[in-house]
Amino acid sequence: MSEDAVGGRVWMYSNYHCNMACTYCLTDSAPSSPRRALSTQVMVTAARQAAELGFSSLGVTGGEPFLRPDMAETLVAMAAVLPTLVLSNATLFGPERAERLRPLADADVAVQISLDRADAAPNDELRAPGNHARVVEAIPRLVGMGIRVRIGTTLDPDVDVDDEERSRLCALHRDLGVSDDDHVVRPVVRRGRAAAADMGVRATVADLPPELTITADGAFWSPFGPTIRDGRLDTDLLVTRTTDPLHIPAGALARLVEGRPPGDDARLGIR
Amino acid sequence: MNDPTTAPIPARPTAEAGAPTGERGPLVGLVESDQAPLLARPYFADGDPGPIVAALAQVPEMLEATMPFLGRVLGPSCLPARIKEIVILRTSAQASCRYCIEAHTVVARDVGLSLAEVRALRGELGVEVTFGDPAERAVIGWSDALVGTGPVDADIKASLRGAFADYEVVELTLLGATTLLLNRFCTALDLPTSPEVVARLVAEGLS
Repeated sequence: MSEDAVGGRVWMYSNYHCNMACTYCLTDSAPSSPRRALSTQVMVTAARQAAELGFSSLGVTGGEPFLRPDMAETLVAMAAVLPTLVLSNATLFGPERAERLRPLADADVAVQISLDRADAAPNDELRAPGNHARVVEAIPRLVGMGIRVRIGTTLDPDVDVDDEERSRLCALHRDLGVSDDDHVVRPVVRRGRAAAADMGVRATVADLPPELTITADGAFWSPFGPTIRDGRLDTDLLVTRTTDPLHIPAGALARLVEGRPPGDDARLGIR
Repeated sequence: MNDPTTAPIPARPTAEAGAPTGERGPLVGLVESDQAPLLARPYFADGDPGPIVAALAQVPEMLEATMPFLGRVLGPSCLPARIKEIVILRTSAQASCRYCIEAHTVVARDVGLSLAEVRALRGELGVEVTFGDPAERAVIGWSDALVGTGPVDADIKASLRGAFADYEVVELTLLGATTLLLNRFCTALDLPTSPEVVARLVAEGLS
């Protein structure tokens, strides 16, 4: 699979439930959300097929993947095939539970943790009370265990985050042991709960880089595709229902990309 | 706080846009244009694509493969449109597919079949007294046989072979079999007849 046509990473939605309910959540995730989980076997099989097809890396998102007790071992098995990035809210990484992550230190796994603002109040307003403090506490713990940590910052484009605050946020992540190269900033996308809350940038298929995304409901154009609003799954960015064998959605995605006018991708810098 | 790791797993999958909301109407959601999956979008580009496409769009990779097939088999080909509509309408009537009977009553009229011929194909008049062409009667007999089970009667085979070349027999058979596929698909899913078709049927006294 050429990375020129389709992004080199295959994403997997490990589960949709979450211990938080962020205001801008694409998937309308919450503790009571249906899990719609991919089994470890499905994820590892997809990882192997992705490698055979020429993909270069894997991504895992949710929901909160680490609500699954088997997530660390799943990630280790996936990372034995391809480098793996997992997105997390890091609120389950207290001293005891963080020990479950120790095997990740020896695997090609990076944990991308959400931290949106330099200050607790505006961060927690959109995410959850106490979220900022728990994240700031968890990151050094993981870094100290030798686990690679990235920070993902999602900003509401209608909220002015000035240069001074951005500088403080970067100073914070450096202080926590995360380099500038491992800090990504992206806008809130107006899908899922964000759309219901009238937040974020509108993103069409032309705005979203094609990155094959596997879920319990099928394969999507990008990890911004399988969004849920008012309890209903959006299908406008669905590629195929078939996810195994992986060449079926991968081939369909490649055909769609080939049929897309050139030069329209990634206008919004959504990653 | 509720522990999500021990929450019960819901028995039903998450609802999807376009899902049916009541007991009446189609069995599955008919995908609306704003939720059309990427592979399905070309079929929605000119407006409502009809209930068959809107249902197939639930599984876009099946839609992607099925529609070109249906277009080739049911669309213009080396067989005259009149002959093809005789097969489609007769097969649909024999299979009691309400959706296909209504849709292809209109198409049959559009390709020139008379009101009496349409009624005969729908089983409301006698075929023998309405269709004088032996070749067309052979096609009707062949359509009736396709809806049945087991081997086709030797006389029906002979009638068809006497009127059509091998390649035409193959296409007529594929057309009838494909119509049966659609008959069962549309009937089982309770697909709704479009308002435009209903209006035409009423206007022509064929409802």
